Amino acid sequence: MDVLDQCLISTTERLNTKRLGTESLCPECLKKIPAQRVVQGETVYLVKHCPEHGDYRTLLWRGSPLWDSWVRPTIPTPPKECFTQIEKGCPFDCGLCEDHYKTTCTALIEVTQRCNLNCRFCFANAGTELDEPSLAVIEGWYKNVLAASGPVNVQLSGGEPTLRNDLPEIVDMGRKLGFNFIQLNTNGLRLAEDPIFVSRLKEAGLSSVFLQFDGTEDSIYQSIRGRRLFDLKAKAIENCAQHQIGVVLVPTLIPGINTHNIGGIIRFALENHPVVRGVHFQPVSYFGRISQEPTDEDRITLPEVIQAIEDQTDGLIKVADLKPHNGRCSFSGNFTRQPDGSLKPIINNSCCTGPERADELARKTRTFVARQWSGAETPTIQSTSSNSWDNLIQQLKTYAFSISGMAFQDVWNIDIDRLKNCCIHVVSPDGKLIPFCAYNLTDKNGHSIYRRER
Amino acid sequence: MNNTLKQTPTTLWKCGKCGGELQRGSVKASYLGNDFVVEELKCLNCGLVLITEELALGKMFEVEQSLEDK
Repeated sequence: MDVLDQCLISTTERLNTKRLGTESLCPECLKKIPAQRVVQGETVYLVKHCPEHGDYRTLLWRGSPLWDSWVRPTIPTPPKECFTQIEKGCPFDCGLCEDHYKTTCTALIEVTQRCNLNCRFCFANAGTELDEPSLAVIEGWYKNVLAASGPVNVQLSGGEPTLRNDLPEIVDMGRKLGFNFIQLNTNGLRLAEDPIFVSRLKEAGLSSVFLQFDGTEDSIYQSIRGRRLFDLKAKAIENCAQHQIGVVLVPTLIPGINTHNIGGIIRFALENHPVVRGVHFQPVSYFGRISQEPTDEDRITLPEVIQAIEDQTDGLIKVADLKPHNGRCSFSGNFTRQPDGSLKPIINNSCCTGPERADELARKTRTFVARQWSGAETPTIQSTSSNSWDNLIQQLKTYAFSISGMAFQDVWNIDIDRLKNCCIHVVSPDGKLIPFCAYNLTDKNGHSIYRRER
Repeated sequence: MNNTLKQTPTTLWKCGKCGGELQRGSVKASYLGNDFVVEELKCLNCGLVLITEELALGKMFEVEQSLEDK
């Protein structure tokens, strides 16, 4: 165990160290324990002590943009309807409870736990079990989301949702209940191999595909997913293009495996734009049974992703073009692709100037995501240089491109304050809304607070 | 936006400010710090631009929404 011993730190270092109190969990027993964010220059650690299991120190932030600069102050707004009472305190009363800071941006509905891959890094509880929720159960979940949060963005997830043949019916049901943006979180295998299924999903009202896409090299897929998958990913994108379903590439970034390919992924996305609407990076986090605590080298933090985006795109996208979104959980930048292949940043003055109401921020996020990540209309205008309003509208819609990223929390780096600010909520089997990181979190032995164990 | 106006390079519109003639030309539009050049009717004399109610509530509003970030 790595212990932060104050005696080993020089006086200068101590004077340059800033400590900010919060709460976290013990990775061994999941007990809530006090924690400190320790800022030392460009590096920030979460330091915590469990009276029973000892000391922990986990890397939160490394490099520039600096931790202090990456803030987006939010005024908490509780959910419209809370499905749980506060008894044990965060994160043990999720449902949501009235102490949660933020309403839902995206509700995740897990329609199956089956999967056709066996990945090294996965939140889902992959298996072969066939006890999937019925359409009636899923309808109940949709209705709970409506009651708690209204017609927010929905992501159908799993397991691998496309293993359900009735997935188009699930999409159709959601649309009929009033959800305007329904996205499919998928590895893309069936979308590549079954174009009729893709057309059924489109007819049912699917807006967008959140495509697991770890890189442009087959060795990456071999390492993470156990198979060479690049050609299948490309085919899935092609099939989505035929039906004008927007695709977001979602790489899980793992140091030493695909972090060198960040620029390559962005270039591939631009080559396949506008069907590919953007790239959403997810630095790896650690769930399930872990024999050894992840080291600093096992993590890539948000500023490192942001810096790599500039470095590996040769400045096509600049650090300054990317802004905090949900505080220190995420970043985003939006662009329009120009006829010469360059990207024109859309300036974001609406963020970061002062505290924003959480429900207003969630509303803006939902609107933006639904617009940006949905399928692009086929361009009808011949010239992109003509200065008409129609051309401008089309350029802002069809040629829009987004780069974003979100860092999930695991049991080592979880900061309860950040968790309260989460706006991605998973619908649990009993119809409650659980913040994403709380739902997927496990102790080091793989025991979960919320997810049903196998 | 009145499409009839768009298709005509010069119109019978007179500037309300200086009485000058309006003609279609490049106009710089700005929203949330983003600048664009669009073609609109503007006064040849003083540069005042005609923004019809239909344009303001239609296409211009659509552009504004597209620029409102998350």
